[in-house]
Amino acid sequence: MDWLIEPFSHGFQQRALLAGSFAALMSAVVGTWIVLRGMSFFGDAFVHGIVPGIAAAVAFNLNPIAGAAVAALVMVFLIEVIHRQTALGEDTAIGLLFVGMLALGVVILSRLESYAGSLTTILFGDVLGVTLPNLIAEGVLALVVIIVATVFYRPLLALAFNPEKAEMWGMHPRRTHAVLLVLIAAAVIGSYQSVGTLLVFGLLVGPPAAASLISRTVPRMMVTAAVIALVSVWLGLTISYWLGTAGSATMAIVPIVIFFVLLVITRTMKKVRHG
Amino acid sequence: MGDMNTLAVRGRGVVVARGAHVALQASDFDIPAGRITAIIGPNGGGKSTLLHAIAGLLPTKEGALSVLGRSPVQARDEVSYVLQYTTVPAGTPITVTEAVAMGRFPSIGMLRRASADDRAKVAAAMDRLNITDLARRQLTELSGGQRQRVYVAQGIAQDHKLLLLDEPLTGLDITSMQTIDAIIHDEPEHGCTVVLTTHDLDEARAADHVLLTAGRVVAYGPPAQVLTPANLTAAYGLGVLHENDRPTLVDDHHHHHEGDRSHSHPHDHAHGHSHDN
Repeated sequence: MDWLIEPFSHGFQQRALLAGSFAALMSAVVGTWIVLRGMSFFGDAFVHGIVPGIAAAVAFNLNPIAGAAVAALVMVFLIEVIHRQTALGEDTAIGLLFVGMLALGVVILSRLESYAGSLTTILFGDVLGVTLPNLIAEGVLALVVIIVATVFYRPLLALAFNPEKAEMWGMHPRRTHAVLLVLIAAAVIGSYQSVGTLLVFGLLVGPPAAASLISRTVPRMMVTAAVIALVSVWLGLTISYWLGTAGSATMAIVPIVIFFVLLVITRTMKKVRHG
Repeated sequence: MGDMNTLAVRGRGVVVARGAHVALQASDFDIPAGRITAIIGPNGGGKSTLLHAIAGLLPTKEGALSVLGRSPVQARDEVSYVLQYTTVPAGTPITVTEAVAMGRFPSIGMLRRASADDRAKVAAAMDRLNITDLARRQLTELSGGQRQRVYVAQGIAQDHKLLLLDEPLTGLDITSMQTIDAIIHDEPEHGCTVVLTTHDLDEARAADHVLLTAGRVVAYGPPAQVLTPANLTAAYGLGVLHENDRPTLVDDHHHHHEGDRSHSHPHDHAHGHSHDN
C-alpha cells in the first residue's frame, strides 16, 4: 500500500491534498446549483472573468483575493448591462465578457517580467505551492460557503424549481440569485490558488454533473458530488505523483472520466432493465 | 356587484404590460369571494397576464387592483398560484413528496423545521390529488397529468384563501382532469376563492363567474350573461359558430399564431369534459 501513502509523505503534498479537498467541498455544493440552474457557461466565463483582477493585483502587489472579487463584480455588472440595454441573449453577453476579461488579464500579465509563470499559476494553479496562510484562508472560505449554502437551501431549491413560484413563496429569487453569484465567486476565489481558474471549473461542474446521473434528490446530489470531488483530488494527486503529470490538471480530468463511466453504467443498466 | 367583503379581487382601469408590450388594456372586473371564476378568451388575449397581475408577479401600469382587500404583492401570503405543468420543467431532482412539501415554504420560511402540522397538510394534499402512491417517484418519471396533480397538491398544501390556476385542465388525461376538477369544485367548500384560466367553453360555463378577455376584459359576470353569442363574437371574431343556439368555440389550443382568426373549420372538443353533474 506504499504507493497510496508515499505521495502524501511530504508536507507540500499534504497541504496540496488539504487545499484540493477544501476546493472540492466548496465546488460540489456551489456547482450543484450551477448544474441545476443551467449556468455552466456563466460559471465557465466567471472563473476566467476574475483573471484580470488577480493579474492587476499581482502587478501592483495587492491582495489577489480582493482583485478577483472586484473583477467578479465588474463582470456580473457588465453582463447585466448588456442584458438590459440590448436585445442580445445572455449567452452573448457572457461570451463577450468571457473573452474580454480573459484577454485583459493576459494583457496585464504580459507587462510583467514573470509573464509565463504568473499566467500558468493563475490558469492552472500551483497545488504544490500552497502555503499555510493560503490553506487557512481557503478553509475558512470553504466553511463560510457551505454554511451560507445550507442556510439558503430552500430559496435556492425554490429558485431552481421556478423563479415565479419562488417569488410567490416569499423566497426572494433575485436576492437568492445574487447570493449564488457570491457563492460561486467565493468558491472560485478560494480555489484558484490550488486548482487554477481554468481547472476550478472542472471541479465546479464535473462532480455535480456526474452525481446528477445517480442522485434522486438535491442533498444527495451534493453529497455524491462532494465524494466524487474528494476522490478526484486524492486520485489526481496520486496519479500526478507517480506519473509526474501536472497536479491540478490531473485532478480536473478525474471527475470528467467518472462522469462518462457513470453515464455508460447507468445507460447500460437502463437498457438491461427495460430489455 | 357586492362590496369589498364579498369580492376577492377588484380591478378598475387595470392596465398590465409585459415589458414594453401592453398585454391587458384598461379593464374593469370583479371576482367574487368563495366562488369559482373562469378567465376565458383567445390565446394572447391576456388570460395569463391577468392571473400574473393578480398574483403580483406583473405590476399594474395603471388603475387600481386589489386582492383580498390589499395590494397584490401584500396579499401574496394568502394566495397560492399553480402554474401550468408545461411551464415548469421537471429538471430539478426532487421527489413528489419534496415537491408538494415546497408548498409549505411560505409558512416555514428559510430555516424552521417542518412541524407535524406541516407534514399533515402535505400528506392531506397528496391524498386529495391521489398521488400518495407516487410519493417517492421523481418528477421526471411522471406523466404530464401526474405532474400537474403534483403541482396542484403543492398549491393546496400552501395556506391560502385565493387559489389561482393557469390552465389546470388543459391537455391532461381523464383521471388527472377529473381529480383536479374535483379539487377546484371542492375549494369553495373550504371558504376559498378559485380563479382559473381556460379556453374550454364548457369549463367556463361550469364556473360560478366568468371573465372574458380579448386584449382587455370584455365582459364579466355569471356565465349565462357573459358567454353570449355577441360577446363571444366580439372576443373571438370568426372563431365562433352557432350550433343548436349554443355558441361553440373553435378550439384554438393548437393554433398559437396570434391574430390568426381566419380558420373557421369546426372541430369538436375531444376532451369530452362535462361539468353537468
